[in-house]
Amino acid sequence: MISMKYFTYLICTFMTACLVAALIGWSMAAGNFLIPIIAIPLGLIVILACRQNVKEVIGDERVNKIRSRSALRTLEVLVILGAIASVILYSYVVSDPLAPMIKGRVFTNDDGTSSMMINMYRPGSMESPENLIRSTTIKNINAMNESEAMDYSQFRREGFLENERKGIVGMTIGGSLVALLVIFGVFYLYYDRKY
Amino acid sequence: MKNRIRVLRAEREMTQEQLAELVGVTRNTIISIEKDKYCPSLKLGYRIARLFGVGIDDVFTYEEDKDGPSAEE
Repeated sequence: MISMKYFTYLICTFMTACLVAALIGWSMAAGNFLIPIIAIPLGLIVILACRQNVKEVIGDERVNKIRSRSALRTLEVLVILGAIASVILYSYVVSDPLAPMIKGRVFTNDDGTSSMMINMYRPGSMESPENLIRSTTIKNINAMNESEAMDYSQFRREGFLENERKGIVGMTIGGSLVALLVIFGVFYLYYDRKY
Repeated sequence: MKNRIRVLRAEREMTQEQLAELVGVTRNTIISIEKDKYCPSLKLGYRIARLFGVGIDDVFTYEEDKDGPSAEE
């Protein structure tokens, strides 16, 4: 077995985590869900194997005390920040029904061109003629004018809204993790100097 | 809590690194204990005392005035 220093172990852990994260990201984008099932346990095995070969003392009672205190303070801070952030973000969900509903339909004309009808309905209403605010018909979707293109892009954006929401959730989780690490790091440095 | 680890270590010509390795802690922990910044557990205290071949009272001295109930915080 090859023994390694603690710093080498940290580099190995970081590189493995980056590799696993990249593999998961790529496989999700490609629609291959088998890779994460293999990559995550494999990454954990690599990290644990590296940890067992560290010749230095990784953690002792002082380190444990610093970590536990930092974790507790981080939890206290994040609970407060998380409560505020969740209320602010949830208010957007409440206001979401205020946005108008946009629906579109593509149909083929007799001359072979494709037309598109875009309808905008009242917020929170059913798809019916009495709730219709505005309607636009693009005669030929391959030859749009400026106004038609704007309507079309708005419609397209509406279609990708679900993907955007997932992306925002992902970014929120990622941001929360970064915030957690930063706050923990700050408290760790503080208690490391104290003890 | 005062301690005589630095003196005992110097008497035995032992480095902080060596002491840390022998008692199974990091060097930073030994540094912190020597500077009276960190108060070790009873288990570690006994391990250190046993390593030097002295009683725990010969290594650590409890000071009533300094270590109040809120001293840990």
